[in-house]
Amino acid sequence: MILEVNELTKHFGGLKAVNGVNLRVKQGSIHSIIGPNGAGKTTLFNLITGSIPPMSGTVLFDGQDITGWPPERLARGGVARTFQRTSIFMDLPVLENVALAIRSREGRSASLWQSHQHEDEAADEARDILASVGLRGREDAKAGMLSHGYQRALDIAIGLALKPRLILMDEPLAGMSRGDRETIAALITMLRETMGLTIIVVEHDVGMVMRLSDRITVMQHGTVIADAPPDEIRGNEAVRQAYLHGSFAQ
Amino acid sequence: MIATTLSERRVRSRGSLIGLAVIAAAGLFLPFATADQPFLLMLASHALIAAILALSLDMLTGNTGLLSFGHAAWYGFGAYVAGLLSKSVSSDIAVLVLLTLAATLLVSGAIGAILVRQVGKTFAILTLALSQIMFALVFVFSDITGGEDGLQGIPIATFFGAQIVSPTVWYAILLGALLLALAGALHIRRAPLGRAWLAIRENSERARFIGMNVALLKLISYMISASLASLAGVLFVLFNGATSPDLLHWLESGKVLMYVVLGGVGTLFGPVIGAVVFTLAEHYVSSFTDAWLIYFGALFVLIVIVAPGGLFGGAARLATRLSARKPGRRAAQ
Repeated sequence: MILEVNELTKHFGGLKAVNGVNLRVKQGSIHSIIGPNGAGKTTLFNLITGSIPPMSGTVLFDGQDITGWPPERLARGGVARTFQRTSIFMDLPVLENVALAIRSREGRSASLWQSHQHEDEAADEARDILASVGLRGREDAKAGMLSHGYQRALDIAIGLALKPRLILMDEPLAGMSRGDRETIAALITMLRETMGLTIIVVEHDVGMVMRLSDRITVMQHGTVIADAPPDEIRGNEAVRQAYLHGSFAQ
Repeated sequence: MIATTLSERRVRSRGSLIGLAVIAAAGLFLPFATADQPFLLMLASHALIAAILALSLDMLTGNTGLLSFGHAAWYGFGAYVAGLLSKSVSSDIAVLVLLTLAATLLVSGAIGAILVRQVGKTFAILTLALSQIMFALVFVFSDITGGEDGLQGIPIATFFGAQIVSPTVWYAILLGALLLALAGALHIRRAPLGRAWLAIRENSERARFIGMNVALLKLISYMISASLASLAGVLFVLFNGATSPDLLHWLESGKVLMYVVLGGVGTLFGPVIGAVVFTLAEHYVSSFTDAWLIYFGALFVLIVIVAPGGLFGGAARLATRLSARKPGRRAAQ
């Protein structure tokens, strides 16, 4: 198990957003977290990625206790994330977006000098990463000029530049056109196949999740109501009940 | 592919070098043009100090995106510390610069550590509060600082025993300081540090999630910016022979902000040009009318609305538009 979440809890006032959640994520798997609106998916995601501290419970990454680690420490420790609302450096060139993450990974963000060799190595690595997410030939464009689908791919490329072992994606398919959704889904599968990455996906698009995932955790009212491979989730009565009022059909 | 980076790198660094050379050439030419008008040389010297001050604010606001409403705090800090030291310790300009910069790094490091954890408006308001505190301190300790009368009787600055009195030598020192500061700022912007600052300005949340120590990087930016402003203060007090609390007034902070906006936020060259234009215009317009600040206010509003990139940004945009048909541009589409 690369990630173990034990009895994780976070309440906002009277709202039990995440209430005693347990989660086991297998190394090299695509593990999705789904659930109706307000189920606590995003809070769970933010607890794991260090955006907010939990009230109780622990998060173990590869056996190490990472509970409450701030984002920058997690990023250096091999846990990357992408954002539901694409989070990139809009005004900077595409290549520089990725090169920033590479320099950060190498601990060179504060350095006052870099050799041409260093700069070229980082640029070459950034180009390779960009090519792997389908952004070859767009290195010099401003990130803000890319289409939504390409911006999402760049967001993922920035995460990959950290050489993470685990990457968490917050609704990677949200707000995408049909074609872009297929592209991003194919990209997620490819990352697992070729890089052996472990990927946790929080997603609304249940149809895509069924195709993509090795395992699915279903949440409702801040707790886990099912945790199984896609086939079993499809036939699960509790999950059907949770989604009765709508979005399962999507 | 690598060839592209190399040629781009050359183009970018060539642009900066040309800019530096133009400023150096214009600066060196000026003393010859003003040989029979000593007043103009003095005005130009004040413009150079203003330019260093503007550059210091641009390194914070333009590079890292931290808006300061109280940057005069460090300008005044440098002037008072250097002024007091010159009366008590040494009149050597090198000693005064080093000691004052050390003091600035110490104090701005301590204050900055608190400030950089605040974001947006809170940061800006706290910088204003800081400058007001420094302003008030001058009056609280008026027996040392001279209070409202200002700090008078600064001994003539020396360099290894030789007194610096010639206006031309002063002008050369100020020009040299500006060129060094500008070259340093341009270098940092191209180095990983400067590019990390840009990333923080663009999206500080994402910067954290790629592992950057955003608070530390902001603090470095704040300390460098404070030190450069403080250097401008040291040069001012030694050049001028006296300083007054006006240097710490929020009006002064507002003026620095105007230099930067007028010239173009984040362009480094722009604020330098903005400071020079503002200083010259202030002198000439204020000799025509007492209401010159009204005209400047109107100009400020006009620039913010019509040319948000300032003088330099506007000129750069014009240049890009003129060369829009060149093939290199198409790659960005």
